[in-house]
Amino acid sequence: MSPLSLTSIVRPVRRAPRHLVPTAVVLALAGTGAAQAADTLVVSWWGYNGEKLDANVTQPFQALCDCELVFETGNNADRLNKVIARKGRGVDVIFLTDNFSQTGIEAGVFQPIDRAALTNLDKLYELAQAPQGEYGPAYSVGRAGLVYDSAKVEPLTRWNDLWREDLAGSLSIPGITTTAGPMVVVKAGDRAGVNAYEDPDGAFAALEQLRPNIVKSFRSGSELVNLVSTGEVSAAMAQDFAFGALQEAVPTMTWADLEDGDIATLNTLNIPSGASEVELAHRFIDFMLSTDVQQIQAEQGVDAPVNTEVTLNEEQAARWTYGQEQIDSLQRMDYQRMNAARIDWIDRWNELFGG
Amino acid sequence: MSPPARLHWLAWALALPATLLVASFLGLPVLWTFSDTLNQDDGLFGAYATFFGSDFRMAVLWRTLRIAIITTVLSVAIGFPTAWVVARVRGRWKSVLIILAVFPLLTGVVVRSFAWLVILGRNGILNDALIGLGLSEEPLTMLYTEGAVIVAMVYLFVPLMVLTLVGVLEGIPDDLVDAAGSLGAGPAAAFRQVVLPMAVPGLIIGAVLVFTGAFTSYATPQLLGGERQMTMGTFLYQRAMVTFDWTGASTIAAVMTIVTLAVVWAMSRTAARLNPTVA
Repeated sequence: MSPLSLTSIVRPVRRAPRHLVPTAVVLALAGTGAAQAADTLVVSWWGYNGEKLDANVTQPFQALCDCELVFETGNNADRLNKVIARKGRGVDVIFLTDNFSQTGIEAGVFQPIDRAALTNLDKLYELAQAPQGEYGPAYSVGRAGLVYDSAKVEPLTRWNDLWREDLAGSLSIPGITTTAGPMVVVKAGDRAGVNAYEDPDGAFAALEQLRPNIVKSFRSGSELVNLVSTGEVSAAMAQDFAFGALQEAVPTMTWADLEDGDIATLNTLNIPSGASEVELAHRFIDFMLSTDVQQIQAEQGVDAPVNTEVTLNEEQAARWTYGQEQIDSLQRMDYQRMNAARIDWIDRWNELFGG
Repeated sequence: MSPPARLHWLAWALALPATLLVASFLGLPVLWTFSDTLNQDDGLFGAYATFFGSDFRMAVLWRTLRIAIITTVLSVAIGFPTAWVVARVRGRWKSVLIILAVFPLLTGVVVRSFAWLVILGRNGILNDALIGLGLSEEPLTMLYTEGAVIVAMVYLFVPLMVLTLVGVLEGIPDDLVDAAGSLGAGPAAAFRQVVLPMAVPGLIIGAVLVFTGAFTSYATPQLLGGERQMTMGTFLYQRAMVTFDWTGASTIAAVMTIVTLAVVWAMSRTAARLNPTVA
């Protein structure tokens, strides 16, 4: 018989010893039972500051709820698009900036929050409790502003400084598809003396004047950090969540003290309409709003706190939007109008920068 | 039923499962994509009229085509001599050279594209070398340009071209080149009239693979080109994943498919003229 014949390849099936069968059945049932005891909460977030979030949020919450957290990561647009494509299914809690959560609300993929289940809600600044009506609260308040390398660039003191000639070939701005991208259009409108929603021609004319200064627009905080650390850009419009990493990369990076103020951004938590673990999702949101989590996240440079019980020293507070007075000083964007203008602004932006 | 007829039907029956799989998961989605572009609010071919009537969209199409063609030409120019050398080497050095030539394929596209950020950046290796050698006083702007995208794509696709050509060139007997020489053909003439026609099948396959990959590329233009060097791949992503304009995205996909098929047909016609046996 050839050594490669079928019978030599397929080993003869032997009868299993008797005691192994009931053992196997018991083990299988035990395994099934163990798997059913651990609920799974699917969380959609950016994945930024992954190690700190694992230590401050993931591990403690898993111990608290005896559940398992599974993550879906990516930028706002990608993750929201997935939720919309799946008609609100597949994710239990989603982290988004308020611009994108407004889009999700308008798309009908989020469900109203049961505020009675959030025991920490009353501790939040009023701004954060119900920023978008019956939908999710904000767990962090941030700001969009200007950053620059003080070793290479003269201080930036106003939004119009973006158009300074000494910034030629050294600037980066957020891409139009990001949270802060449309804010650039609004600021361009301010420079042109027009309302960008009512006169986009004027706003984009001002944006065209900004072109010589721009090296590249960025799609994520990490991409901006890359651009700064490699010396491609010396100034940018940025959100404060990336400032820590920017300073680590280039210690002379400075947050500009703008006369006309920074722009508020809220990071929200929402529950998609098709979430399978609604109660657990509410517990997770409440956990994110708790004083302990808000305190450690702020101390470690992850997120600015919205819980009024959080106390920070001067050095810790300096990097954040902290305190009622500072929060009140921020400019707010009209996201409903911004979302209505979004596709037109994206097309205009493409023709201006990508043609 | 006669034995040949029975075998014929048996062949069809055996091929049916795979055929259904390809039709269901490849053919139908492509047809669905095409159907999504038709009969919209602005007419049967309104989506195409919008596409071809837009200066911006045409600029993106021409840029993508230009990058893909240049990448293909450069990949052939670099890959052919490399494959010729590898094909003519004997012994264990052949394996070593093949491994060296295709080593980049062992890492992902994103990693390989990222490497060029380090090489071409203002504080990158190339600028440091140019300044160090006194060839430039200030860093040159190389990143986020069409040139950066082309360089990275050539780096990505030359190994593919080499792999495709080595097998074909190995099949060209040395005797034929020697025979051409004995009949009075110089090296250039022997190459043009003997080697090149016989290498055409491999050249066409390699060129098609490189062109298709370059024309539909996303990661490399996104990383090294940015918004100013928008290509069909990055534009399609934006329409689908950001603006949720699925009709626009489907139109872009349909145009990409048609252009790719047209270019492949043109390449095949050229190949047939160089080597009639290919036809």
